[in-house]
Amino acid sequence: MMRTAAWLLGALLLAGIVHIVAVIGLPRYAVNDPWREIGAIVGDDGFAPLPRAVPGERSLPGLDPAMVHTACRFALDKGPVRIRAETTDGYWSLSLHDRRGMWVWGVDNRAAEQKPIDILVATNVQVAQLRESLPDEFEDVVIVDWPGSEGFALYKILLSEASRRSEIEAAAASARCTTTPPS
Amino acid sequence: MRFLVELFASLVIALALGLGSAWYMVAAPRIGYAIGAWKAVPAVSAETADPYTRARVARTGEIVLGAGEGLLFIATHDDDGRDLDGACDYRIAGATPTARLWTLSVVDAAGRSPASVTGRTALTSREILRDAGGRFEIVVAAAARAGNWLPSPAAGGEHLFLRLYDTPLALSPDPSMEMPRITREACR
Repeated sequence: MMRTAAWLLGALLLAGIVHIVAVIGLPRYAVNDPWREIGAIVGDDGFAPLPRAVPGERSLPGLDPAMVHTACRFALDKGPVRIRAETTDGYWSLSLHDRRGMWVWGVDNRAAEQKPIDILVATNVQVAQLRESLPDEFEDVVIVDWPGSEGFALYKILLSEASRRSEIEAAAASARCTTTPPS
Repeated sequence: MRFLVELFASLVIALALGLGSAWYMVAAPRIGYAIGAWKAVPAVSAETADPYTRARVARTGEIVLGAGEGLLFIATHDDDGRDLDGACDYRIAGATPTARLWTLSVVDAAGRSPASVTGRTALTSREILRDAGGRFEIVVAAAARAGNWLPSPAAGGEHLFLRLYDTPLALSPDPSMEMPRITREACR
């Protein structure tokens, strides 16, 4: 009896370890890599629309079908990346995600108060360099200190009425993300 | 011999329990609270996400709402606990917690938007009709209806996604908030 109980206790302890290792280890071996997937859809030439949730077809998982989405994936190894976009009157949100798709930073129409989007994403080192000699053109630019060197920007705009689709898609098409060589 | 059998049995139990419980926690959002039939999926940020959410997002590759953006509620069953089924019509009635904007969409079990003649895949708080008290009724059905209608798959399982954008609920959860009730109506 004691012997069985001891074995069971051992099994439970080991089960706990297996549980923790499996959960922590899963992201490392995950088959789904949003950064790569977005690269396959969008490419590396700035923003491109993500497939709309067309009835009967699957878009990238987790996107809201009520929104128009456009995305740009970036890497900071050649310098900071500047993201600019025109905005609309309705709801919009620009979010920055890390390689794993986790949300890192974001701004929406209320926080931005109708101003166009203009942000600069930079690594710790690049931020330090910018602080030393900030070019004049970056004075009104929001600087985002980026953990790591890769990520993607997701710009979504509420498709409030079908009649405003062209206006909304024009705002989505105005989004730019460009590597800004350090001066 | 007995020792080997016991060792083997313990290892099998440990693996099954450990992997089984890990799978259970990661297969669907388990952390977070529920209001009625609605399960809140905690807002996620790269800094604060718990390991289970990290593992789940890595597995599905989904784009989650960020901590500052809003909150997602998922319903997989109606208020009586029956799984949502495309062969049935549902009435979603009541009010939502405070949010600057919300959107309601329905997907089939594989996560696809259902086909519909109107091309409508979601309803938003900006376009629905409400009564004088600000309350609303939405019918989720495969066949077109007058009023607030959201097309659903014609058959098979379905899930409802209610996304609240820019809501105080994202930062301070309040399980006593009112969420719309989900009632089953006619089934085919």
